[in-house]
Amino acid sequence: MGLAARVIESEESSESTAAPALVAAPVEIALRDVSVSYPVGKGKSKTVLSKLNVEIRAGEFVAVLGETGCGKSTLLRMVLGQEFPTTGAIHVDGKLVTRIDARCGYVPQKYSLFPDRTMMQNVMYGPENAFCGWLGRVLPSYRRFKRQLRAEAEEQLLRMGLRSGDFHKYPHQLSGGMQQRVAIAQALMMKPPVLLMDEAFSALDPATRASLQQQLRTIWQQTRPTVLFVTHNTAEALLLGSRLLVLKPHREGSGESNVLLDMPLPQSSGTIAEREQSREFIELREYVKHKAYGSSSRQTEEAMEQETDESGDSL
Amino acid sequence: MASIAVVGQFADIQGRPRRLWTQSLSWVLFLVGIFIYTQFSIVRHKENPEDRVVPSVSQLYHGIRSAVLEPAEEDDPLDDNATLAQRLTHSMLAKDTMSSAGRFFAAILLLIPAILIGLHMAVFPYAEALCLRFILFFDKIVALSLLPILFIAFGIGDWAKVMLMVIGVAPTLMLDTYNLAKAVPREQVVKAFTLKSSNLDVAYRVVLKQILPQIINSVRLNLKPLALFLFAGEMIVSSDGLAYRIGIMRRHMGMDIIIPYILWVAVLLFGLDALLKFANRRLHPWA
Repeated sequence: MGLAARVIESEESSESTAAPALVAAPVEIALRDVSVSYPVGKGKSKTVLSKLNVEIRAGEFVAVLGETGCGKSTLLRMVLGQEFPTTGAIHVDGKLVTRIDARCGYVPQKYSLFPDRTMMQNVMYGPENAFCGWLGRVLPSYRRFKRQLRAEAEEQLLRMGLRSGDFHKYPHQLSGGMQQRVAIAQALMMKPPVLLMDEAFSALDPATRASLQQQLRTIWQQTRPTVLFVTHNTAEALLLGSRLLVLKPHREGSGESNVLLDMPLPQSSGTIAEREQSREFIELREYVKHKAYGSSSRQTEEAMEQETDESGDSL
Repeated sequence: MASIAVVGQFADIQGRPRRLWTQSLSWVLFLVGIFIYTQFSIVRHKENPEDRVVPSVSQLYHGIRSAVLEPAEEDDPLDDNATLAQRLTHSMLAKDTMSSAGRFFAAILLLIPAILIGLHMAVFPYAEALCLRFILFFDKIVALSLLPILFIAFGIGDWAKVMLMVIGVAPTLMLDTYNLAKAVPREQVVKAFTLKSSNLDVAYRVVLKQILPQIINSVRLNLKPLALFLFAGEMIVSSDGLAYRIGIMRRHMGMDIIIPYILWVAVLLFGLDALLKFANRRLHPWA
């Protein structure tokens, strides 16, 4: 039996959505009966998400996939605390989400760095805030703390594949790939229990994207933060995630949940490039493609073609 | 053919003038202005050697000399043994410049809260709800129409003039800062909160720091309106200042003083603008 077939079987037979090794891990993110509607004109509203019940356990890497407008970015913004559900509740780390705070690290698609700070200053910004505040900067111990922090930031940046010669550069002097590497390092410096990434690699060229995917995967395997990774790229979702969540656009009046597919993903060894070439991966990709987009409209197929063009890989 | 080529270059959007050309061209209009003035002055002085409307170069020289080295008529005269430095510091121009500059910089200092109000309106939704509509309305009040009220409220001293400048420019600066701060991408604010920033951190260390170069540019653009309000106040009620002197000299047809004073004001504003531009570039290399 092929790996993809085993995954498919597991997804179809099991109630549990988490990978077997993580079943015992505590629930890090919990969405309970979450629905989101926006007012669109007089007395009318548009439902984006409906009856969403998802539990994400600590250490899971959940890739969220779906068509444009299916609510995947809305889902991420709600976990972040930037938006709130119309009904239902979201808990992160056991606490109700009521505002944006440091429980979640955040890597957006763009504007991810502070333009007025160098690469090093961007990475040091969070811990400086957390441990110094406004008054801490005038204390004598601040210089020693800053030295230690700088060493830690250097280590984090080097781990992201950045060169020490670039540490003093401002974001506008960096390439898109470098900026995203710094943004990930900046978020990881805070050691957040949850890392939220909103199409973080979608503006990058295929080579940079592949390199960053590999680095993110390695970091996740080493440090195991809980990751919620929103993407419109099927291959990226399958290669990075330990679990796949496919959302579908809400149909008004249907009352159905947006979740089209929620399944654990195989965690085979090897690099992303090796896995991408494997028969299992190709089988799985075809399955997800069929499941997610197979019965949808012509428009969706066109969107997929566009996705292929943009990402530079074949789906 | 060469002249056609030069004209052609002026109409070429993709043209790349060399440094020498750029430098030379930037002075051409100044030279043309001086040339036209001197020719006009020469023509008028041929008709009337005592003409004071368009003073000759020598009249201007004497006017500048008296403004720079001699005290104002209403002041005590300096003794003949006074040094050059004493003459310069006690001169009419120095005294007027210091008076006007004092009012000008007092107004600039008082505009700092306007910047902070604009920032807070953009960052804190309750502050926005409280202030925005009022400031949008206040911005439409013609500042000069408030001058009588200011004279009643603050008297005819310096405060009325300073407040006229502040009231004239503050709403614009507030709204400008508000728009600049609103334009900071939402992702930056969200990111800052995920990096354990407090509300004040976000307002001052993230948003204000990012928009500061543009705020300085906004202040640069408002230098002239500030000077305009200062001149309006000084011309109406004052006993010293650059605009006061221009007003006094108008009564005596003293164009030999008025023209140097106008150019001096322009030089001061140009210098201040250049200083702010330089400081902006040095302080914000990332902008």
